[in-house]
Amino acid sequence: MKIPKRLGWISGGVLLALLIWFTFSTYGAGRPIGASTGIAYMGAWFFGLTDTPYFKKITESGSWEVIFLIGVLLGGAFTSLFITKTFKIRAIPPLWKKHKNSSVASRLFWSFIGGFMVVFGARLAGGCTSGHFLSGASQTAISGLIFGGVAIVVLILTGRLFYKNL
Amino acid sequence: MNFNIVEFFSETIKLVQQQDHGSIWLILLIGFLFGVIIQWSRVDTFDKIAGFAMLKGFKVPKMLFFSIGIASIGLFFLIKMGLASYHIKPIMLGGIILGGIIFAIGMAILGLCPGTGPVAVSEGNLDVLVGLIGGIFAGALFTYLYPELEKIMGPNLGKLTLTQFFDGSWFIFLYGVALIAIAFLLPNREIEEEVGEV
Repeated sequence: MKIPKRLGWISGGVLLALLIWFTFSTYGAGRPIGASTGIAYMGAWFFGLTDTPYFKKITESGSWEVIFLIGVLLGGAFTSLFITKTFKIRAIPPLWKKHKNSSVASRLFWSFIGGFMVVFGARLAGGCTSGHFLSGASQTAISGLIFGGVAIVVLILTGRLFYKNL
Repeated sequence: MNFNIVEFFSETIKLVQQQDHGSIWLILLIGFLFGVIIQWSRVDTFDKIAGFAMLKGFKVPKMLFFSIGIASIGLFFLIKMGLASYHIKPIMLGGIILGGIIFAIGMAILGLCPGTGPVAVSEGNLDVLVGLIGGIFAGALFTYLYPELEKIMGPNLGKLTLTQFFDGSWFIFLYGVALIAIAFLLPNREIEEEVGEV
């Protein structure tokens, strides 16, 4: 049997739905998938902010998501090395080069800003693509649907304004 | 500052073992499978996500809507059968709108989000690693400012779901099928047509 190098959006979507079912079910973890709390947990821990109201609020979800994210790193590395064979050390994505610039320094600067905004925004909103949209909208949660609506509109607006030659 | 990684992991593992949300191995497996699915579909690249922000490639929203459509129908019946339960986030209106705006600006610039970012890091993207470090700083600052920020995150409109308003299996089929339809109706254009395979 030949293993496909890419999954299309249909097979990828089905597998992701199966994983959501398993994670939610009592056979799995009995909780939703989430990622941004794990990153906030790391930040709070590394900066010695464990004795704060917010850290105490997120210790359960945050610690769970840290272990989850370790698994994600391993799964991504395994797949990029052995299945898709796309592992490569690089710093500028082709699309950035085409529509922004070719400067590594600029890309790293904006990555830091972008990553900062992603996690700060997600914590303010109480979730990210995984928690609010994938897990939230799957439960028809109104919080997740509002987040998804706002995020898609602002994502496309930023795409218009931040990049050139569109 | 505390960069004692050994202490970090031993404390974190202890905190996870105190919960009833699966063993460490099970959680690692769930994460591993998530990483495999995301990487194998190649929706973990800047090109795919920023490409959607530029409306030049639609694989990410197609896969997301399709997946949520299927997941919602099955989850509804899993919960009905008592094999899963709802985990609803409250509608903190101010936080969701302001946070959603900041989040999405960042996502269009970084080209990744907290779940797909680590996958991009694992396949060798140094820029995304810098983004992840930015995210860790943001987590620390948010934790520090939380007592102040909490004041602007409300009003809390409660943990509401659409199924509370539209009771009955017919609604979840309508909801799921509508999301699946969106996935099919979105353009088939892929970002590879513009920049090639990464």
